[in-house]
Amino acid sequence: MKKQKRNRGIVELKSRYGYMFTTHWIIGIVIFFALPLIQSILFSFSKIEIVSGGIDFNLVGIENYKDILLTNANYDTWLTSSITTYLYSLPIIILLSMSLAIILNQKFRGRLFFRALYFLPVIISTGAVINLIFKTTGSDMSDIGVSDAYSANMISVDDIVLLLDIDGEIASFITQTISKIFDLVWSCGIQIVLFLAGLQSVPQSFFEASRVEGATKWEEFWFITFPSLSRVTLLVSIFTMVELITSERTTLIKNVYSMMRAGNYDETSAMMWFYFLICGGMMGIFVFLYTRFLMKRWE
Amino acid sequence: MKNIIDTFSNMDSRRAHQLRKKGASLVYSIFRLVILLSIGFIIIYPLMYTIVTSLQSKYAFLNSTRVWIPTEFAIAENYAAAFNAMEYMSSLWSTFKNELLSAAIEIASCALVAYGLARFDFKLKKFYTAILFLTILVPEMMILIPRMLNYSHLDLFGILGLFNNLTGIDLRPNILDSVWAFWLPSIFGVGLRSGILIYIYIQFFKGLPKELEEAAWVDGAGPFKTFLAIALPSSGVVILTVTVFAMIWHWNDSLLSGMYLSEEFPLAQQVTRLQETLGQKYLVAFNGRDPQAIGYLMAGCVLFIVPMLVVYMIVQRWFIESIDRVGITG
Repeated sequence: MKKQKRNRGIVELKSRYGYMFTTHWIIGIVIFFALPLIQSILFSFSKIEIVSGGIDFNLVGIENYKDILLTNANYDTWLTSSITTYLYSLPIIILLSMSLAIILNQKFRGRLFFRALYFLPVIISTGAVINLIFKTTGSDMSDIGVSDAYSANMISVDDIVLLLDIDGEIASFITQTISKIFDLVWSCGIQIVLFLAGLQSVPQSFFEASRVEGATKWEEFWFITFPSLSRVTLLVSIFTMVELITSERTTLIKNVYSMMRAGNYDETSAMMWFYFLICGGMMGIFVFLYTRFLMKRWE
Repeated sequence: MKNIIDTFSNMDSRRAHQLRKKGASLVYSIFRLVILLSIGFIIIYPLMYTIVTSLQSKYAFLNSTRVWIPTEFAIAENYAAAFNAMEYMSSLWSTFKNELLSAAIEIASCALVAYGLARFDFKLKKFYTAILFLTILVPEMMILIPRMLNYSHLDLFGILGLFNNLTGIDLRPNILDSVWAFWLPSIFGVGLRSGILIYIYIQFFKGLPKELEEAAWVDGAGPFKTFLAIALPSSGVVILTVTVFAMIWHWNDSLLSGMYLSEEFPLAQQVTRLQETLGQKYLVAFNGRDPQAIGYLMAGCVLFIVPMLVVYMIVQRWFIESIDRVGITG
């Protein structure tokens, strides 16, 4: 009885300690996260006028959504192009960063140099400067860059695809991927870091046991490394998705952002919410399928 | 005789096997090197191009027979132009004041939150953790406009607004264009990508042995003292990781500064607007592919990247090691 009481005292004390550390954050969440979030949802359902001393907004229902989907000629194009980019970039980035992390985790000469090199995108790629660099250096091959003069003389990807006689759909996928190769590789920075951290936590004893049993390298990868990375892969996928959705390099965000700066708040809110709902929905489906089928099977 | 032949052939097969294995691993090493070098080239190419272009004059740029080694240098001209156009020193100060200091505040305040969430059980903790994930998932842009509008009439709990409604006196401060627009959210642990930072911290704190801290409590240390004297000293690795991330994100941030600041700009903002400012100051045109402008522009990019690169080169050794040890992904 007495012990129980004392235990409860400790529990209470710990709970008080917990609040001591987190209260400022909870206040911050309410003021700087929850309220703006609700406001932003309200904005998307209303017409906004900027007046002195704040803003004036009156609810108009789904008018904004109707506008952007039915009247606005550009929004559809922005939306489809952004979502296609998102859909095909994701698997490539995940696979690329996972294989690079596995390679960088092996022991070989020059490993430190390569690691330092591959982490470089982490410090630059989130920034505005990369848009400028890519555009000017012609690494952004979708744009007509300055280096046209050089690339005109080289064999282009289109020529190779034509030469190999590949079907239309696959060919367009290949050309698209390769023309985005700079973009894709440069998006792998943090993902490689996360995968490397995940690889460190795979117990070495698993590999020793499998070696005793005479497993090949391939089996080792398929039955040990890959399943052990399943949680990290989920984390990396979510991170990549958020990055891809909100990247200032996507068509939609670029345009919406410039509209926002021009003072258009109601329609842009609707545009963003619609876009994020679609992307978030796909993200949810992915996470559900992944945890339901893949992770269950491995654990 | 037959025995001897047998032994020899056995030896042969064993050696052949070993050789084959060696050969395979050699082939693999070469393959690995080729992959690493070719993807490394993709990473290094835009940077090299940027640096080389920033060094050369427009005549050298137009000379397409020499790409990597400039025929004529114009280092001083390019860099002076970019330096002036970006108002480099004042922008650097603005970056330090608005972005880097708020990153520092964020690092400290996120550590507190994460320690609370990782170490103590309290009511609604599950709920708060879910909220934490929500803050990671909801993009910063979604809440940017309302935040900006609120900042122009900051009103933390609705009291000042009520006062305004009742008396007509507006006491709500405008914190746009001041450091507080950046510092306040950081103080409350909801700054730029704070969610991810808190998550990294939590994963690390959960792995720290509890016993030491409990011993400290038994000895009568308060929770904050325990945190400062026991938990923090053993979390150098995670602090380094978080610091690198927070500093990089803040240094590169042009989204928040573009919304909150309209008078003085941090470097990231200056780089974003560089084409515009160069056009105004030096009357160079970008759509006409003026080669002069390219040199200026690339010099500006180098000026923006270099401070970060220098810091990265200093800390990268520890950073790479710390990634091995921090266990972000638990």
